[in-house]
Amino acid sequence: MSAASMRTLLLTAGLALLSACVTSNVDQMVYNEPTQGIGDASVVILGRRHGSDYETEPDFVKCVGDHIAARDNSVTVIDELEFLNALYPWFEPRSAPMHPKDIERLLAQQPVREKMAALKLEYMIWLDGSTVRSGGAGALACSLGGCFGFGTWSQDANYEATIWDLTDQAEVGHVNTSATGQSYMPAVIVPIPIIAPVQGTACDGIGEQLLAFLSSKY
Amino acid sequence: MAVHWFCSMTFANHQRWCMLFAVVLLGLLIGCGPTKVVVKGNFPAPLIEPLPLTLGVWFDTDFTQHEIFDEPTSRKESSWIVNTGAAQVQMWDTLLAGMFEKVVHLDAKPGPGQSSPEIDAVLIPHVEELQYAIPAQTNVKVYEIWMRYRFELVTAKGTPIAKWSMSSYGKTPTALLQSDQEAVNLAAVMAVRDAGANFATHFTKVPAVQEWLRDKGLQPGTGTP
Repeated sequence: MSAASMRTLLLTAGLALLSACVTSNVDQMVYNEPTQGIGDASVVILGRRHGSDYETEPDFVKCVGDHIAARDNSVTVIDELEFLNALYPWFEPRSAPMHPKDIERLLAQQPVREKMAALKLEYMIWLDGSTVRSGGAGALACSLGGCFGFGTWSQDANYEATIWDLTDQAEVGHVNTSATGQSYMPAVIVPIPIIAPVQGTACDGIGEQLLAFLSSKY
Repeated sequence: MAVHWFCSMTFANHQRWCMLFAVVLLGLLIGCGPTKVVVKGNFPAPLIEPLPLTLGVWFDTDFTQHEIFDEPTSRKESSWIVNTGAAQVQMWDTLLAGMFEKVVHLDAKPGPGQSSPEIDAVLIPHVEELQYAIPAQTNVKVYEIWMRYRFELVTAKGTPIAKWSMSSYGKTPTALLQSDQEAVNLAAVMAVRDAGANFATHFTKVPAVQEWLRDKGLQPGTGTP
């Protein structure tokens, strides 16, 4: 084996070691999938934020939307904050509809009905869950001479996506995803973070399933 | 300038060292002061059918300059000043302009001497209470703000029409690269925004307001569901 290929092999092995492992699981249940995708209609992905001890991270909601839009640019995903501002105050944590039938109450108002029609909104996806740090061990001490020690922690991501069909005002699907990963931080002068992409894995898992529902190409 | 003058007068031979010491001391003293947050944010206009009424609005100085000063409860904590006055005015101006056909800002508090025949009623909002919690105090990884408002709806001459209270809440999770000040600001913006949502969706459900709307020949449900 030449020196160059040996270097490449070592570099690849090093990079593989630097990414920590993540275990993920995705469950899907869809009742009424559109056969030709959602066509020229649009979809909005919103985070549930009515819980007192957690809230679905806006970054996660954006990640799922970007995942779908990047893989099929024919699917129009409305930005969450843009939608919340355009429909204020009807989708705030205290006023957001909890059931698809509540949409009927909102559509009874002319300005809401007109805005929804202008947005060509046909599906609404609610994401509920969060990523939490579930445990840690080890010790890391830093001084002017650098950092020494070893730290490790685990993270759990649990999210549920609920799909609402606004035309029929009905729930048409559920996607659950959970991901667990262990991150490490060894430090000999310089700390080397080996972070498990737990939230990113959950985002990819849920994004792929939603893409299969919304896109005609998948 | 003052540091330079003090050092040149008292420590003429060691002026450079004196100035360095004074600047470090000044920095430490500033670091010991209260943490101040002047709440800043953007508030959207409501998507509501406006009520066909002309509303007068009176913001008193306690409201427009609203701030709380919170003393630390232990040596580990610092004192906080949270100023929401400007954000309150910004949000309520935007909200009310979308909820009513016409909004008029009054120059003086409604009273017997006032006469504004075109105004149907005057709204006077008050912030009664503001509480905050940061992760260092609660061990929960969210920053939270609670607010309690009191509203007076009166005629231009100050005769009471309705009085009611309302609460609002805002929270934001801890995030990487986000300081305590940024997080408290975001939680306060969420709380002010929540106050707007609560007011907009419940205004016509306040019993005394419903009665007043009926007297005006409007269905209480007009504008809001």
